[in-house]
Amino acid sequence: MENPESVSRESKTKKRRKTLNDDQTQSISNNMKWRTEAEQQIYSSKLFEALRQVRRNNSPAEANHRPRGRVVREAADRVLAVAAKGRTRWSRAILTSRLRLRFKKVRKQKVTGGGRLRKVEVRKENKGITVLQRKVRVLGRLVPGCRKLSFPNLLEETTDYIAALEMQVRAMTALTQLLTGGAGGLAAPVDQLQSNLTSPT
Amino acid sequence: MNRALPEMLHCLNTSVGNLAGNCTDLTVLDRQRTRIKWQQEQFQQQQQQQQQQNYFASQGQQLQGLINGDLRLDQVVTRSLKVDPGLENGWPDYGKFPLPKTGFCEESTGFESAGYLNGSAFEMNYAISRTASCPPAVAEAVAAVADGKGKESIVTEKLSSAVGKESFKKRKADKAQNSKVVAEDDSRDKRIKGCAEEEDSKMTEQNSSKNNSSSNSKNNNNNRENSGDTSKENSKVSEVQKPDYIHVRARRGQATDSHSLAERVRREKISERMKYLQDLVPGCNKITGKAGMLDEIINYVQSLQRQVEFLSMKLAAVNPRLDFNIDNFFAKEVFPACTASFPTLGATSSEMANPALLQLNQLQQVISCCGLEMGMINPPDMGLRRTTSAPVSFPENFLDTSYFNQIQPSTTWDADLQNLFGVDIHQGRSTPFPSQPFTDNYES
Repeated sequence: MENPESVSRESKTKKRRKTLNDDQTQSISNNMKWRTEAEQQIYSSKLFEALRQVRRNNSPAEANHRPRGRVVREAADRVLAVAAKGRTRWSRAILTSRLRLRFKKVRKQKVTGGGRLRKVEVRKENKGITVLQRKVRVLGRLVPGCRKLSFPNLLEETTDYIAALEMQVRAMTALTQLLTGGAGGLAAPVDQLQSNLTSPT
Repeated sequence: MNRALPEMLHCLNTSVGNLAGNCTDLTVLDRQRTRIKWQQEQFQQQQQQQQQQNYFASQGQQLQGLINGDLRLDQVVTRSLKVDPGLENGWPDYGKFPLPKTGFCEESTGFESAGYLNGSAFEMNYAISRTASCPPAVAEAVAAVADGKGKESIVTEKLSSAVGKESFKKRKADKAQNSKVVAEDDSRDKRIKGCAEEEDSKMTEQNSSKNNSSSNSKNNNNNRENSGDTSKENSKVSEVQKPDYIHVRARRGQATDSHSLAERVRREKISERMKYLQDLVPGCNKITGKAGMLDEIINYVQSLQRQVEFLSMKLAAVNPRLDFNIDNFFAKEVFPACTASFPTLGATSSEMANPALLQLNQLQQVISCCGLEMGMINPPDMGLRRTTSAPVSFPENFLDTSYFNQIQPSTTWDADLQNLFGVDIHQGRSTPFPSQPFTDNYES
């Protein structure tokens, strides 16, 4: 009589542990995906095309309205969000905000870049908001779309976001090197590009 | 189990006799009366198994309420005593009997009084004649105390003697409940109310099931309440009913309150994720504590974003070159370098290059389609859904409209690359784009 019950109890606890482990492994594998060469390649090529697109869009009309850096930044973020395949909250938030900006034609600085310059100063006398809570809120503002997220989920999103940002930096660095390098600097990035093409793993 | 009963009966008789002889004025008549009544009661108990089970559950609940201090022991005793004034002479002594045993051990007191109070609680609901059940219970409690083990089993078995297995399970579960009495403070009022109102069986079962599950889930490895064996027995009886709880084990020496358990789970989740971040963020190994770690994380994210900003500005500066130089750029500058290195790759790598290049081309098509999406007029929801859930569907939708727009700029790019790598790009591209390549790319 005892065995099936104990087995069922064990299986239930194991099920909970297993889901936890599944989450872990999934988040780990997701993070590792940002580090692979393939992702970087894909991102680089996508970014390249997006930049060309931006260039083409900008030249006729609004080249002077927005600073070009901003446009490029937004394009890069958008491409990064697409590369995330919508699995994470911040990627969805980036894409949503882009769409909203486009269709409402409101120049709102919603996403990452502008927000971090403004930090709300809360005095220490206000014990309702602890120091830790304040920092959590700052982090929530940094990661797009994660302002009102619970702390554990926020940490998870931050993990993925940091990995993605690192990949973005790597790809953009390579791209700028490729594009701005002189004749001498071309050899290395070109080899890199070629190695990217020939070894797609 | 039932075999133990006659022995208990003998114990009862002897103890009753002893105690009677020692300190009371129990006449022989009284003894006989109690014996007869007890037999009657046994019979009645057998008849009313079901009710007893339910009541046992409720009694258990009430017991916990009592143990938790709502009613003092004296009050309970007096209440039970008042029920049967006829036997009042004997009862005060019985009432005092368990109390001196307090010195035995902390837990056993609870159990004894459990048995005692169970019997007395029974009285309150049943007929007066049932008071006779008390001495056996007391005696058995004594015997159980003397044994030192499995006292609850005796008590439970006594109180509902001839029952089947399911009730045995339930009893054991309630035994677990009894043993975990001290831990359950919050729902105490509920239980007492439920008992007082004599709720129907379903409710009691639900309550007891909830209590069972929660108590059983907290049962394991808690060294505060029980000796090891009984706790193991109790924990193994688990989960007769199946609520959908997350089953967490309380570790040794930790509180078993449901709130603290949930908090612990939450804390573990947080610390686990902080550990990931520690690996990710450089220079976080020395820092312990959430605040410091959060500072580092915030700094790191800000620095990464600043880097991206800087690089994007750089790219923007480079961008003018992108458009009008693109053909020349790659044709002139990249081409010689590539052709120089191309022979070194060999034939095999050219084959490798082909699918990769095709992939790249197709990717570019996709990108342009995706890029066009921004310019297209679409309801934002649809766009969002497309971007997030099925980026693959982009090219399918936009392909017709945008495909021919995109061909011209891409042609030059492909033409150059074609020159570079000697691959027949047009073959790959002229086929109407099936969606499979896109899925492959996106699945990679």
